[in-house]
Amino acid sequence: MVTYSFWMSTRETKTDILQGTLDLMVLRTLATMGPQHGFGLAQRIQRISGGALDLNQGTLYPALLRLEHRGWIRSRWGVSGNNRRAKFYEITAAGRRQVEKESAEWARTVEIMDRFVRLAETE
Amino acid sequence: MPGIWMRITELFRGARLDGELDEEVNLHLQMMEEDFRRRGMSAAEAKAAARREFGGVTHAKEAYRDQRGFPWIESFAKDIRYAMRGLRRSPGFTAAAVLSLALGIGANTAIFSLFHTLMLRMLPVAHPEQLVSIYRTGGWGSGTVSLPLYREIAGRMDLFGGAVATNGVNKVRFTPRPGDRGEYTQREYVSGNYFQVLGIQPAIGRLFNAGDNRVPGGHPLAVLSYDLWRNHFGADPAVLGGTVLVDEQPLMVIGVAAPGFRGVVPERPTEVWVPFMMSHGQVTSPNMWWLQIMARMRPEVPRQRVRAALDVLMQQHLKAIYGETHDTGFRERAMGQRLEIRAGSVGLSMLREHFGKPLSVLLALVALVLLAACTNVANLLLARGAARQKEIALRLSLGATRARLVRQALAETLLIAAAGSAAGIGLAAWGVRAISGFLPEEAGNPFSSAPDLAVLAFTIVISLGSALLFGLGPALRSTSVNPAAGLRSGAVDRAGRPALRRALVVTQVAFSVVLVALAGLFGHSLLAMRSVDLGFRNQSVIAFSLELPRLWKGDFHQAEDQLMNMLAATPGIYSVSCAFPGLFSNGSSSSSIRVPGSERTATEAADIDLAYVAPRYFETIGAALKGRDFDRTDTANAPQVAVVNEAFVREFLPGEAHPESRWLSFDDSKPEGGERTSIVGVVRDIRQNGIQEKVAPRVYVPVAQHHDLTWPPDILVRTVSPPAAVQAAVRRELPHIGSGIAVTDLATIRQRIDNSIFETRLLATLGGFFGVLALLLAAVGLYGVMSYGMAKRAGEIGIRMALGARRADVVGMVLGDALLLVAAGLILGFPLAWAAARAVHSLLFGIDAVDPLAFGGTGGVLIAVALGAAFFPARRAASIDPMRALRHE
Repeated sequence: MVTYSFWMSTRETKTDILQGTLDLMVLRTLATMGPQHGFGLAQRIQRISGGALDLNQGTLYPALLRLEHRGWIRSRWGVSGNNRRAKFYEITAAGRRQVEKESAEWARTVEIMDRFVRLAETE
Repeated sequence: MPGIWMRITELFRGARLDGELDEEVNLHLQMMEEDFRRRGMSAAEAKAAARREFGGVTHAKEAYRDQRGFPWIESFAKDIRYAMRGLRRSPGFTAAAVLSLALGIGANTAIFSLFHTLMLRMLPVAHPEQLVSIYRTGGWGSGTVSLPLYREIAGRMDLFGGAVATNGVNKVRFTPRPGDRGEYTQREYVSGNYFQVLGIQPAIGRLFNAGDNRVPGGHPLAVLSYDLWRNHFGADPAVLGGTVLVDEQPLMVIGVAAPGFRGVVPERPTEVWVPFMMSHGQVTSPNMWWLQIMARMRPEVPRQRVRAALDVLMQQHLKAIYGETHDTGFRERAMGQRLEIRAGSVGLSMLREHFGKPLSVLLALVALVLLAACTNVANLLLARGAARQKEIALRLSLGATRARLVRQALAETLLIAAAGSAAGIGLAAWGVRAISGFLPEEAGNPFSSAPDLAVLAFTIVISLGSALLFGLGPALRSTSVNPAAGLRSGAVDRAGRPALRRALVVTQVAFSVVLVALAGLFGHSLLAMRSVDLGFRNQSVIAFSLELPRLWKGDFHQAEDQLMNMLAATPGIYSVSCAFPGLFSNGSSSSSIRVPGSERTATEAADIDLAYVAPRYFETIGAALKGRDFDRTDTANAPQVAVVNEAFVREFLPGEAHPESRWLSFDDSKPEGGERTSIVGVVRDIRQNGIQEKVAPRVYVPVAQHHDLTWPPDILVRTVSPPAAVQAAVRRELPHIGSGIAVTDLATIRQRIDNSIFETRLLATLGGFFGVLALLLAAVGLYGVMSYGMAKRAGEIGIRMALGARRADVVGMVLGDALLLVAAGLILGFPLAWAAARAVHSLLFGIDAVDPLAFGGTGGVLIAVALGAAFFPARRAASIDPMRALRHE
């Protein structure tokens, strides 16, 4: 399930983002940190992951549009900290419900995978 | 759904959103750079690092755009725009493809709309699927029943959920308001339970109930159709309670039927419904067969039981009426009648009875035409694909996916199909008018109703179906290019293997064989019909009948005599006579006779066909007569005389050398007869009612000696003047004879004959048209493949000529190639054509299904077309300059 990117072998090994998990990361980040612009959001995600994620920051924008289409986040233009025009994203009520749902699902997946991983240890 | 709305707005804000995304991405990169510089990188390093962390900027933007709006709509629109540009660049190809399809789709739409009306469209009534028609077979006439029989059937509530009676739809005179100019309307006499059983609601007022149809002549009521109400009365509710004059009967309007309901005869929309008790004549007589029955089946009663019960009912009914009849032949014929249950959900249609099968054949023919058209377009597309190999190879090597190219090719076919069906619908409207021209007036007008959604749906489905049929193959074929090979110079010719195109041409030829052979069969059949000896020569005689006012009290014989004398004195008119039944007018009259001395009537009387004619009848229609014609001396007081036909002599007086010396008697009570009717002449067998009619023994009597006619005879005029001039002359004379008399059915006998064989004429004409169409399509296909083949083999031909081949050899080679294709098509097509001929066998007259003329002609025509189509490519090939061709290679 987890793939490693070997082509960056000269650098510290980073984890590619698992398909579909970026959505949850974005939603969860917006839910706890409040409205963010794209760069801020990328920074937060990198920081929370402890720099272990190999996030191509460009891929953030199609994901944001996808979430907006689903009605989980909304965007509006505002002014950033140093007085520049920037687009801010914030989570909607539907988005919060989605976070709860996906978090629970994720927890279950992790639990199941965990059992399999331990199985090997106890054998 | 916020997403959908957002996507829709995104469709129209593309440019602005692109700007916003640029801004967002630039800001992101800028902030990253600043961040890196804060961490100590140089400006250049920070910029590079930011780019690296962000990933591909263009790629991200592209991925973003792909999500925006409805990606498939946008790429579809792009494909369509691209296809439009492509088609505009090659107008010749576009025109050929669209025209082929338009002809195919137009023909299908036209025939289908007729087919749909007569065979498929359910009546707009409650539960049409439960309706059946109760049809009388055997005996005389067909379908109709008497009022007493109808009452017995309708009384069987254990079998039916209700049974209605109608006398069909008739065109009658109509005066909407007193003092209005007389017009015509379509009247249907119906039973009182008609609307109730069919489940029709009134738009206004009320409809009939059982109480409205009890006493003969006692219910002067009318229900109007919604269309009539709107067109004649401006949908004014004040029409209720008013009086309209229908067929000279004053009737009170009690209601208007729900919109959309036009009676139960699909080709004749009813405008006025009248209780059938208002019909004239002996409505309650058990011998008057005039009502058609539609019944509603009870879902829980099995059809088998209904059929058995009807058999019993019919036998008892017939026994009560005819059980005592002495004439055994007559009794057997009468008792042999049965009641049949036929499908009724589509309504009662006389036109369907004899036009249903030809119509099905036409539908199959147009399907073949469409297939031939599709094959042609596929062939054109393949040629086009072959010519664009280089372009396609280039685009593939530049990274276009094959799926995308196939989609684009399909967009092109979709455009062609759309244009083809739009043009086809226009052609169909024209075709429908042309077909209507073939239908005799009495057949009704099956096209009168508004364009139907089902017909439109049919057109769209066949258009899309044919787009896939002709488009998918070529799309897949022309995109299966090896980019590297396709780009090499000179490889173009080899890339598109012509085998598929040749196969398509063979298929086209095979389709043409079937269509041309059928056209030949129908054409030959029509010729055979035309050459039947009808027994009389003067087909240009003009016939008409007088329509007397309903309450006419005078003697119509006197009126007719007066009119005939006036006409006889008109310049340009050679002779005038009259007859009942008229020629090709579907009337009939019979009588029971004895012929003293004839074996045939020694033990019992015989039924013969009877005709009442005026003096000079045989001369007027040009029938050869041995003996004498009737003349003015054959009056009521003179000795009774008769003319018989040859069939009469064969049956009653076989071997008699002098039939003129014999006599017959209408007194059939004893073998030797009673009052004498002398035979004064023998006339050739005249086909009275139809070309395919088997002529029965017939006795002609002078109309002056038999005053028992209830209907005025047809008047016949032999003249050099056109029908319109005769009509004008008659109109001038009519006021001198009596008021309210009208002329109906004025036409030449030839027109009446034409009307009687309209199915065959329609089949022959449309068959011929489709045959020519298929030939044209095949010629285009052959020409295309041959010229393409020649262009490809130019080098080879150059070498051959350089080595000494003569021009004639080259021409022969090309023509031989074309003949090879046609031979393959013939081998494939003839068995199909043979099977088709077997299927339509019952529609052919006087010829075999395997008609040597039709089949031989088909082969000849196709070979001629092949040679014609290959001639120009062959001449071009023969004029190749060997030196130039070789240098080019």
